[in-house]
Amino acid sequence: MYVGMMCTAKKCGIRFQPPAIILIYESEIKGKIRQRIMPVRNFSKFSDCTRAAEQLKNNPRHKSYLEQVSLRQLEKLFSFLRGYLSGQSLAETMEQIRRETTIDPEEDLNKLDDKELAKRKSIMDELFEKNQKKKDDPNFVYDIEVEFPQDDQLQSCGWDTESADEF
Amino acid sequence: MAEDRTKPSELDQGKYADDNVKIICLGDSAVGKSKLMERFLMDSFQPQQLSTYALTLYKHTAMVDGKTILVDFWDTAGQERFQSMRASYYHKAHACIMVFDVQRKVTYKNLSTWYTELREFRPEIPCIVVANKIDADINVTQKSFNFAKKFSLPLYFVSAADGTNVVKLFNDAIRLAVSYKQNSQDFMDEIFQELENFKLEQEEEDVPDQEQSGSIETPSEEAASPHS
Repeated sequence: MYVGMMCTAKKCGIRFQPPAIILIYESEIKGKIRQRIMPVRNFSKFSDCTRAAEQLKNNPRHKSYLEQVSLRQLEKLFSFLRGYLSGQSLAETMEQIRRETTIDPEEDLNKLDDKELAKRKSIMDELFEKNQKKKDDPNFVYDIEVEFPQDDQLQSCGWDTESADEF
Repeated sequence: MAEDRTKPSELDQGKYADDNVKIICLGDSAVGKSKLMERFLMDSFQPQQLSTYALTLYKHTAMVDGKTILVDFWDTAGQERFQSMRASYYHKAHACIMVFDVQRKVTYKNLSTWYTELREFRPEIPCIVVANKIDADINVTQKSFNFAKKFSLPLYFVSAADGTNVVKLFNDAIRLAVSYKQNSQDFMDEIFQELENFKLEQEEEDVPDQEQSGSIETPSEEAASPHS
């Protein structure tokens, strides 16, 4: 039984063979560094990393240990495993993860289909939600006006072309 | 003032409105057009999705100089595959809100394409350029953006996330739309106005109340819709 687990997660990683998520943590009772090996079962190169991460995080046996480990990190670890199972090199997998979790500021999203666009939007939504002031926040103000004068002393945004005719 | 907001559902819209205007939102995919709309309208928004046309319609009632104004906001998809339907978006619009994302250069560069297209259909209507997502990088508000300057357009720095200048943007857009409609010298507008008056007179003779109901259909009927 779980009795008020006191543990501080230090590191969390993945082992490919045999597959397992490994957590290094400090148990606060004795201040000792410990390692917990959580075997990954029924995971193939076709598996959904988000679902696998959620299942592990909600697993009754591991739940309390993984409280401080974000879903996103677990998801990323499963992506490494999936890359390994599909025969990708580590570099290839890292590049793929980078592509899937960041926005390329040069990419023209007008050319994407609905599914790809939704993926990009969900990456952007993370920052939006972080910065969002919601209606039920105690200091919410509906109409916020801030003046940002555009005078001639301003530095250029760097996105305009050099010639005066073009912007 | 435009701040006095009434829930559209509580009003039989057409009947009490002194006037109605159409405002279009343009800009690349994912610059935050819908998020801006939703931040302005908060809970009162009841968008009507017309997904086949990649269009979301928001109805809003505003007060401008003591008059009730019915506003139709047309929020359009930026994706290229909908380009052929754009003629109907521009049709009879009274103002335009043109948005880019301060985090993505490509959305700023594409403003020129949006603007060219806008002017092709609506040479005279007021247009506001909007730099959205300033919450992600407040330093951009200290920089100059030549696009707006080049075409003498007002530039608003806003954030749909924290709300900076969103309400001001929409209220100003509504005022501009109303004043454009009242003072338009655009030849096409005058023709449309004539046609509208003609149509109204006719309908008064036939069935007086038909004009106001089902106003959602009006755009596709009158506009060069993909069907026709």
